[in-house]
Amino acid sequence: MTQLPAKQSSNQSTNQSAATRSSQDLHLRGIVKEFPGSTGVVRAVDSVDLDIEAGEFLTLLGPSGCGKTTMLRMIAGFEDPTSGSIFLGDQNIGALPANRRPMAMVFQNYALFPHLSVAGNVSYGLKIQKRSKPEIAESVEMALMTMNLNGLADRDPHQLSGGQQQRVALARAMVMKPDVLLFDEPLSNLDAKLRVHMRNEIRDLQQRMGITSIYVTHDQEEAMALSDRIVVMNKGRVEQVGTPGELYLTPSTVFVADFLGTANFLDVRVESFGGDWAKVSVFGETKEVRAHPDAQSSAQRVLMVRPEALTVAAVDEATANATVLSASYLGARAELRLESQEGELIAVTSDPEPDQMPRAGDPVLVSFDGARTYLLPN
Amino acid sequence: MAQRTSVLVDSLEVVAPTKRKRSWGLRLGGLVPVSVLLVGLLFPLFRIFVHVLDDETWPKLTGFFSQEVNRQTVFHTMELGVLVGFFGVVVAFLFAYVQTQLDVPGKRILHLIALLPIVSPPFAVATAVIVLFGRNGMLSSQLLGITHDIYGLDGLTLVLVLSFFPVVYMNLLGMMQRLDPALVEAAKNLGAGQFTVLRTVTLPLLVPGFASGFLLLFVEAIADLANPLVLGGNYTVLSSRAYIAITGEYDLGTGAILSLMLVVPALSVFLLQRVISNRKSVVTVTGKPSGSPQYLTGWAKWPPYVVGVAICTLIVTIYATVIAGAFTRVLGVNNEFTLDHARYIFSGVGSEAMFDTLRLALIATPIAGLLGMVLSWMIVRKLGRSRGAVDFLSMMGIGIPGTVLGIAFLLSFRNPTKLFGVTVLPAFAGGSTFLSGSLAIGLMFLIRSVPASVRSGVGALQQIHPSIEEASTSLGATDTVTFRRVTIPLIRPALISGLSFGFARSMTTLSPIVFLVTPDTKIMTSQILGEVDGGRFGNAFAFCCVLIVFVAVVLGLIRLIVGDGALRRTKKRTSPTPKKLVPTPQTAGQI
Repeated sequence: MTQLPAKQSSNQSTNQSAATRSSQDLHLRGIVKEFPGSTGVVRAVDSVDLDIEAGEFLTLLGPSGCGKTTMLRMIAGFEDPTSGSIFLGDQNIGALPANRRPMAMVFQNYALFPHLSVAGNVSYGLKIQKRSKPEIAESVEMALMTMNLNGLADRDPHQLSGGQQQRVALARAMVMKPDVLLFDEPLSNLDAKLRVHMRNEIRDLQQRMGITSIYVTHDQEEAMALSDRIVVMNKGRVEQVGTPGELYLTPSTVFVADFLGTANFLDVRVESFGGDWAKVSVFGETKEVRAHPDAQSSAQRVLMVRPEALTVAAVDEATANATVLSASYLGARAELRLESQEGELIAVTSDPEPDQMPRAGDPVLVSFDGARTYLLPN
Repeated sequence: MAQRTSVLVDSLEVVAPTKRKRSWGLRLGGLVPVSVLLVGLLFPLFRIFVHVLDDETWPKLTGFFSQEVNRQTVFHTMELGVLVGFFGVVVAFLFAYVQTQLDVPGKRILHLIALLPIVSPPFAVATAVIVLFGRNGMLSSQLLGITHDIYGLDGLTLVLVLSFFPVVYMNLLGMMQRLDPALVEAAKNLGAGQFTVLRTVTLPLLVPGFASGFLLLFVEAIADLANPLVLGGNYTVLSSRAYIAITGEYDLGTGAILSLMLVVPALSVFLLQRVISNRKSVVTVTGKPSGSPQYLTGWAKWPPYVVGVAICTLIVTIYATVIAGAFTRVLGVNNEFTLDHARYIFSGVGSEAMFDTLRLALIATPIAGLLGMVLSWMIVRKLGRSRGAVDFLSMMGIGIPGTVLGIAFLLSFRNPTKLFGVTVLPAFAGGSTFLSGSLAIGLMFLIRSVPASVRSGVGALQQIHPSIEEASTSLGATDTVTFRRVTIPLIRPALISGLSFGFARSMTTLSPIVFLVTPDTKIMTSQILGEVDGGRFGNAFAFCCVLIVFVAVVLGLIRLIVGDGALRRTKKRTSPTPKKLVPTPQTAGQI
């Protein structure tokens, strides 16, 4: 089991926000969720343990069907775990119905009440709590102002744009001042530009309010932009937990390396091991690379090389170790597909010149910086 | 591969999750409608079976098919069902085809006329057809000199098709309007002509609609009582035989046997119809419909249009006859204007029936609405394995022929129900009971209205994404509060429209009521039967007019209150949520 240098990145923001409100830690222990399927019982979530710190922004990331949404719905109380417990602080909230958990959820389709105005939507939860009228009015106004919804209080949800509906959904959840905010792929119905904009807003707001947040998405870029820590899930299990940087640079499995960003996997011969590094022979030379602690004991290993770690130089045929298959100009960067003795490679170069792009068949020399690669057990 | 995170906090033990308690208010709330259905539906049905097993009745059942007359009655019933099913679907498709595929003048008017028969009281069509095409018919013999006898299978088929096709028409229209025009464009793009498209794309996609419509009409036709009584002549069917056995011969045993003969095919076809229509429609497969519908061009558009216009003319003529008949002495014989019939309706016996009917229907309808809301919410959102059973139970009220249900009520509620010698249910059907039998009639209205409100409630709820209710829960609302503050407001318009059809049905229903009326509780439809039987067509027409006006006024009021959209189901108000694709047929259908 890997020793994770977890949480140092999240501590700073946590400490700041702890002063503003008294959030509580969330602990999941041995969570299992089984659904009856057509071919027997399906395990959607398989023995998951997680600790979420107060004020932390944690993202559950994974492909569809990996169990991330089920996890979120169990935390919210919409599903009961088949076994396992959920603690908020030191209180077991497993027996609390969804409406009595101090959490608020932002739904994928916003789930605005179509028969209520914007103000009616935002004040809904406060009315249920039987707050006084002036207090409700004040909270709603504050929330609408925070979300840049001034002047829209009397509109019906269907009169709003997608981004505005999303903001109302956020305001409706925020106004409850929940201990935990839950997000179920809230940005997936927005177009690409708006998605980036809203994700910055969500991040700013969460930092300002310091509310513990759990966010579900399948978009790795979104996850990296938003999160203090990311939980990568696959087939109901947790593959790895870590900060975006840890997951990108030192993934502990091939799945994680592949799911976050693009990765080249090279079959390499390992010459020797030394703790967290190894000597490998690749492209006909011996290099020192960083290694996962489990790599030594594993029967098979593979070297992960990120596309931007590859250096590609135009050379004559005699010195070349690869040829270009295709080259795509993408503005800020260029993406090259190369054929080498180690298999097909993807390389990325930054700030390319559009009229000096390599052509298919060009001989090139590929090399990489050993510090930017990682040897993984396979 | 998978790896656990950080260290376990020692004090937090892993324990099995405690099952959360559902609120008791809800359990009770769910129990009430289900028990109403058990008492008002399953129990009476059960009594029919018990009665048939009686020592006296059992031999009659075992010898039933050895008698030629019985075999013939059963055959007649099935024959009628099949013919009405077939021609009804043809007419319904023709109208839907004209609406969606043809660019012809006056489509809107054709649509409205085609819907007219939905609110028509029983007898209106049959009696008008007798006046127009009977032995001394105004059109057939007086105008054209034809001496064809309308009484019997052909007349019955005509009248039943005209009365029941609109529901199937509405279903098919819905399906055809939802048909993605891109499918037609794709077929044309691949080289298909307009008839090839119709034959290879449009018609195959509508097959479930045809099948479901046929079965629906089959059940309606074999269950109908009013028309066979008036127009059957020597052509006896099960329902009219049962009626005569009970009211003419006071033979409850034979009545029970005939009911059994009727309920078995009716319920099996009803079940089959539900299976077909509950299957997800293939009409909308993926994506948004795109493109605009293309109309049929060339000469081919005229034949269906002409037939459609002809049928509409017939419907209008029939309704004109009803109105004219209400204000003439004897239409076709003595066409003198008179207010006698109106006077008869609005004073004396007629007005009693009018107010009794209205009062009972107005009491039963809102209760049916409330029960329907709770039931549909349970069916769509709350129930697990028992969902199918509750759904079936709540729709059964219209699956069982009215005649059968009426006889079953008579068998069950005429005498007190005793369990181990203790009276658990006092008698409440019949003139000598509390409120002179109006309780049984009210319960009947209720049972027969619940399906319409459940159907529309279920339709509306399926369009509301569950996350809307989860959002409410997540904001701290209990299930009960969510139901009151979110669910009811969202499904109310659809429900009111379902209810208005339920009300119309209560006002115009005959077959289950005719067994339950008492001297002190009169119901309009059974009064009409009396008038028609006595040959006083004028009074019958006047009653029909009053019923039509009642129903029209109520439907109009509801349209006014909940807005235009309500009668076409609520679409717009749930707009912020992405629509869940719901099975296409049905919603308008089973009313």
